Amino acid sequence: MNDGKTRYGYADAISGFFEFPTENARRILPSHLEPVEPHHGTSIFAMTVFDFNESMVGSYGEVVMAVIVSPLVKPGERLPKSAFFPYQVATTTKAAREHAIERWHLPHWMEDVDVRFEKNGHLVTAHVASGGDAVADLTIGDHSWQPVSHLYQSFMKNDQGAYLAQIVMEGQQSEHEEELGKLVLHDHAFNKPLEIGEVYDVPFRELWMRDGKQTFDPLITLQTV
Amino acid sequence: MEAAHKKEAGKTAFAEYDYSNFYYGAGDDPLNLLKPFSEWYAEALPNGYYLYSEPLQTAPTTRVTVKNRKNGKLVDLLNLASYNYLGISYRPEVKQAAIAAIEKYGLGASGSPILSGTLDIHKELEDSVASFKDKEAAILFPTGYSANVGFISALMRAGDSILLDQYSHASIVDGAILAKSKTTFFRHNNPMDLERKLLKCTGKKLVVVEGVYSMDGDVCALPEIVEVAKRHGARILIDEAHSTFLFGQNGRGVAEHFGLDKEVDFHLGTFSKSLGGQGGFVCGSKDLIDYVNAFGRSRFFSCNLAPMIAAGLKAGLEIAENEPELRAKLWSNVAYMRRRFAEEGIDIGKSTSQVMPVLINNDARVFAVAEKIQDRGLYLQPVTYPAVPKHKSRLRISISAAHTEAELEFATQTIGSVLREEGIIQ
Repeated sequence: MNDGKTRYGYADAISGFFEFPTENARRILPSHLEPVEPHHGTSIFAMTVFDFNESMVGSYGEVVMAVIVSPLVKPGERLPKSAFFPYQVATTTKAAREHAIERWHLPHWMEDVDVRFEKNGHLVTAHVASGGDAVADLTIGDHSWQPVSHLYQSFMKNDQGAYLAQIVMEGQQSEHEEELGKLVLHDHAFNKPLEIGEVYDVPFRELWMRDGKQTFDPLITLQTV
Repeated sequence: MEAAHKKEAGKTAFAEYDYSNFYYGAGDDPLNLLKPFSEWYAEALPNGYYLYSEPLQTAPTTRVTVKNRKNGKLVDLLNLASYNYLGISYRPEVKQAAIAAIEKYGLGASGSPILSGTLDIHKELEDSVASFKDKEAAILFPTGYSANVGFISALMRAGDSILLDQYSHASIVDGAILAKSKTTFFRHNNPMDLERKLLKCTGKKLVVVEGVYSMDGDVCALPEIVEVAKRHGARILIDEAHSTFLFGQNGRGVAEHFGLDKEVDFHLGTFSKSLGGQGGFVCGSKDLIDYVNAFGRSRFFSCNLAPMIAAGLKAGLEIAENEPELRAKLWSNVAYMRRRFAEEGIDIGKSTSQVMPVLINNDARVFAVAEKIQDRGLYLQPVTYPAVPKHKSRLRISISAAHTEAELEFATQTIGSVLREEGIIQ
């Protein structure tokens, strides 16, 4: 399919959304992005772990650490569900890493990581490790499932410029705020941008997608001051 | 899925979005969110949002005539939505006091309370509130919202710390924003989390709680919170919007109920809930009230309460004070509903007050359930995300002392039968 879009297939994609101080969010974000605040002074840290089973670089696991930001709204275009600024991405393979850096300018942890999904009833845990040391363990639970097609935005910035990727996530989705999950962030260089003690360890929202497709539109270069 | 996506492209479908999607939006024009919101709202209205702001054609008594926003018809409904917890706002004494005041003073106060807008009736009402709350002094605000905004921002500054329950009313949050203090939220009604947060605080510290939380109807864990706050040198403000005139031996509120009236530093309340009127107040020491009078910007940059409102409130307060049987009737009604809801298998969560959430826990169906209940004769509103967490949608009910047992039984049976038909309960 030569429509300029890039498609990835995934078996599981799990996200936990956690409250953390806006001061911490602002230290991570470039100046042209504004954090979304569920409460005054509180922003949202999001950790997402993918189990990709189909892509132009084969199967791989990926972890994305991000801050939720204001989406870019343009007249006449589909309204995004939400937007995020991934400040740290890591993959289980070098090929996946190089692909994402080259194509999407995503900031990467430059070593392969280990990503292991562990399912236990209604809960799933993604264990992430690097260099043999634990980085993070994200657990979420499921709720009711329904098919969705949602538009998200991802903002990137590097020395050359600022970018926007429009991403459609399709698949079966479970989303809830039952506080079933948990996050353990280990004392690891990977987590240096975060004040670990300030990140609430129970997700206020848990999002699980499975058996779906992630479709990227061609990257947009943004004009920023 | 791809086809579905294409079909939805450029269209803001009701099922895909909620209010939270229309708040944040970067771009070059502040109007960019209007069209997507309008498209969504046009779909949301017939799907259940018409149930909000349906104009009442009558006083908010236990029976109301409502104009259905979907079909324009007038319908007579049993009112489970208005506050008016003591059924006071439409009492003859209250109406007469308001009528006499409008004859004497005309329509409004015509000025700021710190300039020309203070009338003798305002001072009388302040004195009555102070006396009722057993405090040295009280000060009026034009609304409960402005009371929280004005009081918190009058007292706290940049560099200070304000600790709020995560379920705090928007007026409390907005007061903290206006104060420019560092604002920290603690888990709902959780003294341990409050303590964790207090340990990291600097500057003057203020802990803000509510007597009764308006979405769940649960009561503040005040004894534990006071103990923690005191141990860390924090002052405590309690917003008794939904508890003044109801809780405690004398009806002063949840602080009195727990015997902590003196331990709580600042007492705030509203006149729009139990008295069914309008306005807010803060009471405390004379020094405190003088300070708030000087620095409560939301108050003195507003016109004072309309004198007819102040007069009606004064009459209403006298009724609340002199007729404790109203409180007794309210709690009897609350006990009746709790028992009957339990018998019907209707879940009201952690409510222990006159505010009862009937938990539906299904965001997709709550509007259909609410619509069906209104069609069967009850006036109430659904509450859904983002006002409450996802999948925690509910119907919010306010019990009044004015409800008769027959009305409450009709409400219980109607709600129970609809929830059974919809498979919400067995």
